[in-house]
Amino acid sequence: MIMQSVIIPALTFLFQDGSGGFLSWLWEWAIRAWDSAKQPDLSKFLVIGALLFIIGVAGVLTRRNIIVIFMSIELILNAANLNFVAFSRYLQATNSVDAVAGQLFAVFVIVVAAAEAAIGLGIVIALYRNKETIWVDEIDLLKW
Amino acid sequence: MTLSGYEALFFWIFGLAAIFAGLLTVMARNAVHSALFLISSLVSVAALFVLAGAEFIAGVQILVYVGGVMVLFLFVIMLVNVGAEEKGRDEIFNKQKQVTASLIFCFLLVAGVLYAVSKAYPALLANANTTSEALAAQQASRGKSLETGATGTSRITLDTELVGSSLYRYASLPFEIASVLLLVAIIGSVMLARTLKQEVSADDVDPEVLQEEIAANPELEKLESRS
Repeated sequence: MIMQSVIIPALTFLFQDGSGGFLSWLWEWAIRAWDSAKQPDLSKFLVIGALLFIIGVAGVLTRRNIIVIFMSIELILNAANLNFVAFSRYLQATNSVDAVAGQLFAVFVIVVAAAEAAIGLGIVIALYRNKETIWVDEIDLLKW
Repeated sequence: MTLSGYEALFFWIFGLAAIFAGLLTVMARNAVHSALFLISSLVSVAALFVLAGAEFIAGVQILVYVGGVMVLFLFVIMLVNVGAEEKGRDEIFNKQKQVTASLIFCFLLVAGVLYAVSKAYPALLANANTTSEALAAQQASRGKSLETGATGTSRITLDTELVGSSLYRYASLPFEIASVLLLVAIIGSVMLARTLKQEVSADDVDPEVLQEEIAANPELEKLESRS
């Protein structure tokens, strides 16, 4: 009963001849992925930037240590920078608009990140002096 | 833009290193370990900048981020050193419900972004009337036209020169504003990080608050009268 209703359809689904089977589809997908991985282009830069961004967002949302939250923000800004630089390179290759603009913007992002880190860490020190804690869930009052 | 050969190999090495070090930054228990993993992530991203032809940004990244910002981070970690975290007594993540909700949100976000990239990139190429191969060929011919460096193995790009000239030509006002921003950051962080003693000797405390503080700590009065 189980043999007929589950296993045989599953086997035919996996090992079907031609293009219909799941495994052959997976194999073709893997070959295509390998081919495109051998020549990384703009989209691969964007994928790596997106993953770094998501890791940073996860760090900001889940960690309790305020300094690690700041470091996650730096990761987010870096992911944005990676996208700027990758698009700058892409636009240079397509001979379209002024392509250095992306790199210029990346410089300004780095400047703002440095200013943000200086101010933020100053706030952390002042906060630690008053509250004796760096856990963000214990810093829940604007005035104490 | 397409990388090939060793460039592709190094792209994957540094890309995966950046992501892996980023993950460890978020997951490390000790904040000093987090900072060191973040440094390696930033260096890997700088290598990716070099591969994307932005040598100047890579240099700025190393100098400003790794040399400046991360040293500042390490100093602050040392100043507010919290032993309980390292000894494993405290929970380093938020409460479980919040973590689950935020991870679901992050998963949806990454799925959406990856889907958008996979759909939009072919459309972008089609819109520009070109293909990946054509772009690679164009880039190779552009590379051949550049002057060869002294070692004979690499070519000298003009990107840094271009960035420098357009920084002053097209972005000179934002450049000046950035210097004002940095000045504000310096003054602000010095103001914020002062101790009460320093504030009192600069005569910068509210008189009522000052009376209370002097009642608690008589030493402050000497500083106050001196200024």
